[in-house]
Amino acid sequence: MITVALAKGALLKDSVARFAAAGLDFAGLLEPGNRQLMVPSACGQARALLVRNADVPVYVAYGQAQLGVVGYDVIREHQLPVAQLLDLGFGGCRMSVAVKASSGYRRASELPAHCRVASKFTGCAQAFFDALDLPVELIHLAGSVELGPITGMSEAIVDLVATGRTLEENGLIAIEDLFHSTARLVGHPLALRLDDGPLQGIVDRIALVATPRGR
Amino acid sequence: MALQPAAGVRDLNPREVEGNRRIADQLAAVYRLWGYQEVAPPSFERLDTLEAGGGIDGRELVRLASDEPLGLRPELTASIARAASTRLADRPRPLRLWAMGSTFRSSMAEGGSQRLHEQLQSGVELLGAQTAAADVELMRLLLAAAGALGLQAHHQPRLLVGHHGVLSALLRQLPEQQQGTARAALTNFDPLALAQLALPDSDRQRLGNLMRLRGEPAKVLYQLEQWLGPIPLLTELGETLVAVAPAAERLGVQLQLDPSFQPHFALYDGLVLKLVCQGQEVPVEIASGGRYDALVGRFCPEPREAAGVGFGFDVGAVRELVAPAIESPAPVLVAYGNPKHLSAALNQLEALHQAGTCAELLSGACSNQAEAEALGQARGCGRTLWIAP
Repeated sequence: MITVALAKGALLKDSVARFAAAGLDFAGLLEPGNRQLMVPSACGQARALLVRNADVPVYVAYGQAQLGVVGYDVIREHQLPVAQLLDLGFGGCRMSVAVKASSGYRRASELPAHCRVASKFTGCAQAFFDALDLPVELIHLAGSVELGPITGMSEAIVDLVATGRTLEENGLIAIEDLFHSTARLVGHPLALRLDDGPLQGIVDRIALVATPRGR
Repeated sequence: MALQPAAGVRDLNPREVEGNRRIADQLAAVYRLWGYQEVAPPSFERLDTLEAGGGIDGRELVRLASDEPLGLRPELTASIARAASTRLADRPRPLRLWAMGSTFRSSMAEGGSQRLHEQLQSGVELLGAQTAAADVELMRLLLAAAGALGLQAHHQPRLLVGHHGVLSALLRQLPEQQQGTARAALTNFDPLALAQLALPDSDRQRLGNLMRLRGEPAKVLYQLEQWLGPIPLLTELGETLVAVAPAAERLGVQLQLDPSFQPHFALYDGLVLKLVCQGQEVPVEIASGGRYDALVGRFCPEPREAAGVGFGFDVGAVRELVAPAIESPAPVLVAYGNPKHLSAALNQLEALHQAGTCAELLSGACSNQAEAEALGQARGCGRTLWIAP
């Protein structure tokens, strides 16, 4: 049976729609009041696991799910061995460096060496500042990272920015983008090599309805 | 005091150890029948040996805190290739060697902490033979060894076969600066990275088709010949697979030629192999190997002898897959009621041992026979031999 790992939250509705277009109906996941974490498809040929965003590549890397949908930001942060199969186009946002609007910094390279940077995505942040050759002290936070600069704990943050409203309402501005992130269809590399057609068939049917940016 | 083992490693219980031993014995019996001799390479080596000329990422090595740059072996091949080219240099080629032992790898866990992985490997190395016949022998031996493990039809064993030279020949059709990225995208199964390569659409399309090309060898070889022409490498690979096919069919192993497949460690420069079975939930890799002539060449001054092929089984993965039935005999419990009878109890124990019966001693005198029998039952003993006070 094919198992698909889907992320709770903002990506779920579009993920379910893409699989529905490919013939796998996981609408049960969207029903109000659904508490089930493993839901069979309407056709009974597949099942979906409802997991946290960061856990999607984990289930896929261990082979418990052959396919999954997750944001590119999570793939970059966790660096697990999953095959990136399709850019699904939805869930677009930017991974950005942001500072207090009043700080005067307008480029990441202007930040002082050894300054503090708060982030949920310390892996991405570390790689970015390493590439800039700028030593920084990274502070891992689990959420509401905007409070870092507001309280004075950090000079900057690295976080996902969708519309920019949260930053604006908290007196912050994005000064540099690390990368643009969209939802990706990922797969277990060995399962794909052993596939005799069904998995690739799903990937191809989703590709027909995927709308990656720039196309 | 730390009560947990280091992150990533496991304590094996007696049943698991016995299972590993059973599997290792089954494999070793096959290796011996094929004329392979056992060697025992060291558990630790100099780091430059372990890195195998860049084939193994230094970050995956478990380093020792020592005056010399030393580490624990992540696999057995590099150590055996070194020994074959030094201590065993005088032996006639080809050298047929097998070895079993623990291998160690390091990885970075979430949060940056080190995670260690220990794996019991059993495998063979055929050194000093550059011929395709050695490739055939290796694959037939791999199949024969797999055949001794009791794999069932529901395990759906499949032998993935790739070839470093064939993949390189395909990549040489691209501009040089794109070859490395294209190779990584193909072997990591990353169509998005392929789509981003700065190449003409026709080249990208061909790479996309190559990523999807795998399956029954004759069909795959036909397609490869359309792209590469009738080069000797393809003819040789075709002949190798034809020679292996009857054994694979007899053992119920599906042969899958997969040109974009490469194993985790980049030791190999020719044929590459991976034997995969279907576990209860996920596919399980139980063996992998290939040809590593360049690695032998690092140690061996004689170019004609710079050749090696080998494979290794992951013994623990096989045990978890086939779950061998372990029937260890229930021991006899020798119990006694009077502390002065310890010596007599030990005499009884040894008499049972001499008769070939597994027997253990109840440590300390026991107040009565009923209590001794209850203790024997709790310990899983077959019966209790009571020496009355």
